[in-house]
Amino acid sequence: MTEKINLIIDGKEIQAEPGSMIIQAAMDNGMYIPYLCYYPGMKPYGACRMCVVKAETPTPDGSYRSLPGNPASCTTPISEGMRVETNTDELISLRKGIMELLISEHPHGCLNCHRIDLCGPTDVCLRHVTVNDRCVTCPKNERCELKDTVRYMEMELTTPLTYNNRHLPLEVKDPYWDMDMNLCIVCSRCVRACDEVRVDQAITLKDRSGRSIIGTSNGISLLESGCEFCGACIDVCPTGAIVERDYKWDKAETKTTTTCPHCPVGCQTSLDINKRNKLIRSIPVREAEANQGMTCFKGKFGLDYVNNRNRIKTPLIKKNGQLTESSWPEALDLVASKFSQYKGNSYSLISSDRGTNEDHFIAQKFARQVMDSNNIDFSSNTNTEIFDNLSDMIGHPSATNTIWNLLKSELFVIISSNITEQHNVLGVPIKQAISKGAKAIIIDPRETDLSRFSDNWIKPNINTEHILIGGIIRSVIDQSLEDHDFSTKSCENFDEFRNSIWDFDLSRVSTETGIAQDEIQNLAKLIAESQSTSFLYSLDTISSELKSSASTSIINLALLTGNTDKPGAGIYPLFSGPNEQGARDIGCTPNFMPGYNHNPTSGIGLKQLNESINRGDIKALHILGNQASIGSESGKTIKNIVDKVEFLVVHESFENEFTDCADVVFPSSLFAEKDGTFTNLERRIHKVNPALGSKFDEDEDWRILCQIALRMGSNAFNYNTSHEVFTELSTFIQTTDEISFDKISESGQIYGVERNYKFKPLSMTLSKGSIATDTFPMILTRGRILEESTVDAKIELVNDKNSITRNEIIELNSQDAADINILEGDPVKIIGENFELSGVAHLNGINSGTVSTTQLFGSLIEKVQEHKTEDPMLYFDELTLIPVRIEKP
Amino acid sequence: MPADNDTLRKQIIEAIASQHRPTVTVLSSLLAIQDSIGYIPDEAIEEVAVQQNTTVNAVFGVASFYPNFRFSPPNKHSIEVCWGPTCHLQGSSNILQAVLNYLELKEEGDTEDGEFSFRFNTCLGACSQAPVISVNHELFGKISPDESINIINKIKSSDPHHK
Repeated sequence: MTEKINLIIDGKEIQAEPGSMIIQAAMDNGMYIPYLCYYPGMKPYGACRMCVVKAETPTPDGSYRSLPGNPASCTTPISEGMRVETNTDELISLRKGIMELLISEHPHGCLNCHRIDLCGPTDVCLRHVTVNDRCVTCPKNERCELKDTVRYMEMELTTPLTYNNRHLPLEVKDPYWDMDMNLCIVCSRCVRACDEVRVDQAITLKDRSGRSIIGTSNGISLLESGCEFCGACIDVCPTGAIVERDYKWDKAETKTTTTCPHCPVGCQTSLDINKRNKLIRSIPVREAEANQGMTCFKGKFGLDYVNNRNRIKTPLIKKNGQLTESSWPEALDLVASKFSQYKGNSYSLISSDRGTNEDHFIAQKFARQVMDSNNIDFSSNTNTEIFDNLSDMIGHPSATNTIWNLLKSELFVIISSNITEQHNVLGVPIKQAISKGAKAIIIDPRETDLSRFSDNWIKPNINTEHILIGGIIRSVIDQSLEDHDFSTKSCENFDEFRNSIWDFDLSRVSTETGIAQDEIQNLAKLIAESQSTSFLYSLDTISSELKSSASTSIINLALLTGNTDKPGAGIYPLFSGPNEQGARDIGCTPNFMPGYNHNPTSGIGLKQLNESINRGDIKALHILGNQASIGSESGKTIKNIVDKVEFLVVHESFENEFTDCADVVFPSSLFAEKDGTFTNLERRIHKVNPALGSKFDEDEDWRILCQIALRMGSNAFNYNTSHEVFTELSTFIQTTDEISFDKISESGQIYGVERNYKFKPLSMTLSKGSIATDTFPMILTRGRILEESTVDAKIELVNDKNSITRNEIIELNSQDAADINILEGDPVKIIGENFELSGVAHLNGINSGTVSTTQLFGSLIEKVQEHKTEDPMLYFDELTLIPVRIEKP
Repeated sequence: MPADNDTLRKQIIEAIASQHRPTVTVLSSLLAIQDSIGYIPDEAIEEVAVQQNTTVNAVFGVASFYPNFRFSPPNKHSIEVCWGPTCHLQGSSNILQAVLNYLELKEEGDTEDGEFSFRFNTCLGACSQAPVISVNHELFGKISPDESINIINKIKSSDPHHK
């Protein structure tokens, strides 16, 4: 612990962290200095001058020396014994003068209208102010920092006060956000958030002095300027200059902090709910430790589905082939009596991947205790292989370090993961670390946002990633670069492991992977010589039979180089659903009981379900839906077979292919209506709070299951609140900490687990076969990046919205191209099953048998925004490998 | 001459590469491009961004900060009138007004006939010759409003297109 610094602000003795600025020290101690351009967590900027103070520092002879002038407290660091005055008459008049200058370019009917105290927040304006300047025409009315600051300073503004209207056109053509630069005070918080925090630079400060304003290069659309639509600029804007387009003028009645249901980062976000019980805005919580005020396009703009009115409103029972509305008792009785005929192995329950820990716990308890069946799984559990060896090798199947620990890493090894799109906020510390000098090794056939941040983007032949890592391990040992102490003393099985790697002869590895030997040696050196390395992998492009080998070799490499859980180092297996960690921890899987207690008879999971239903083993299927699985691979396969079961019960919020085939449908709550907990990828338990009041007759999945259980004669399901369920399930979680519901703070609670490290011998497994077929002999690797300025993109207006088109570049191996008579610059068409793309051929040395193309994130966002389904984020186009053929149009 | 896109990019890349100096920066590259092709087209922003490993927005932020950079092709002839303190004292405001009237402009800008690009200049660095104007980067000192117009007129009439 560094020692704190003592200083006096306005006569009050306080202590603050060394290196902090005066304003931060004051804020940390509950004092307020007016500010507009400062923003906690970003570098001091000193643009608005609102936070001016008087400060003096002690000299050796005991007297005090004033800092010259009136320094801005956001750029003046504190020092021992400093005395600061924040509210002298001189400072107050100075601030008022500065504020008058600021609002001389900002419409301020909202500040000096004489009806301010008379009108309620939603009253209709009675023409006391010109139309454009009315408080009700500003989207930030009543939540504007500029207005709050003016009010705090008790400024007396004369009426009418003229101002210089910039008369700039509104920017309303890009997805999701609206920009009105007439309201901008040029604090450039948004530019700094985009540059410093998100490391994107999608917007910039252009021009200078009086004309200085926020914009993009030559006014290009955000679709091509590198925007990731995270909304960070919106969240920091103190005025109404940049705002969310949806529900732009709506006022929040309540604000509730809850957990985003889109990915395992578990962003804490504050949901604004209006008086009509609609979710109008999502604002990420800055104090939250998991996301630190960040979120992504999904967490910012992808939550609107909870407002959709096409909900399933009451329980439905199939009568004469038609789903008809029924009452809860009728539906529950029917299900209970039917289920008693299917006890045992003919029953299977698939829990929702958006289920809370409570849902998962009750689901597995219901399946095991009431239905006597181990056929229990959750709907996103399709990537089981990457978890196979985690318990054995690192003691617990979870990440070994925290999300923001990534900030301290010197090197990232990212294997087949599209982090910016799939686990966006995880990418924030990575990009920040890289911008401060960290390096990244990306092993991925696809070009992603992060591969642009890396000097080492390695593209091995498809499905040879595990061989490449084996080769790196071999090279580390050959060069004696391993962390020998850690490998032999803190890990088991080193010798056996070392003997297994002689298989990985570098020349053979090089032939298999297509990566040169000296490059492999180079990578080995880079990884071994880095003081702290983080390994992140979701293995998207690796076929399922090889995922386990890949995961094993990655962990072996991490252990070998001593990168497990020290600062800046860690192993991060990345999964997809928001609560997979929770589902696994509490046994909502076919082979483990709660707390990873081994199950003697493991049941049928999602992966075998298709086969079992076709065989007729599963007769009653129970799906806790919540939409989420529909878009995924498993969802697609199950969709084809649901009509083959005798009795199908679905808990669902919206009608879909599953509910169409169901015998009974229960209306299920959405995340914003649930009360429970999610566990994120760093094992942090977050609360999920009901932000919305109930809309129809829906209920939470675990409550519905309890009702069925009660009707089937079980008395072990008497829970009144989710709190009680949590208390029971927390006793099963394998942890070194004590977990209790009341102890979970706003930031959630990480629970510790016991780690023991063990090497696992490797063998060189080769891919069993390519996904390429006779009809589609090539494999397309698609990449997606935020911006690519050197490829001309065309922006057109479609329905008054910007729409982007580019002549896509399709990369081909020169030899492959010669075989089918394609020359550089020829127009080509690639065709796959349900896939088509035209572009211009570009011949280079990419791996033979593959075709590669990189599209813009902007065109994806445009499509997602246009999507007409209830929850468009579920139909998010993941970058899978596609077998294709090439044609000349 | 409107160059087609590929030629333009080639010119830009050559301009960036032609800088023989230890510190090649965004700013120096932009200057080199403007020296070479007379303005900063979209493509130049993109190429500088790639070459400096940054984004177009960051480059544009720098470029738009300096009024010396222009984003559209200049007209055939450049005319600059110095309005620095020395020239001002020596009556440059009369020259300014005369030239503006002659070019039918109200402020800095390009004439509609595509002939002249007119700019104020804060100092042309020849105060001893004040007042000074620069026509196609050639300085004319101790000049009167009438003489200025004559010089501009001469360029205009020597231009074959204008006869």
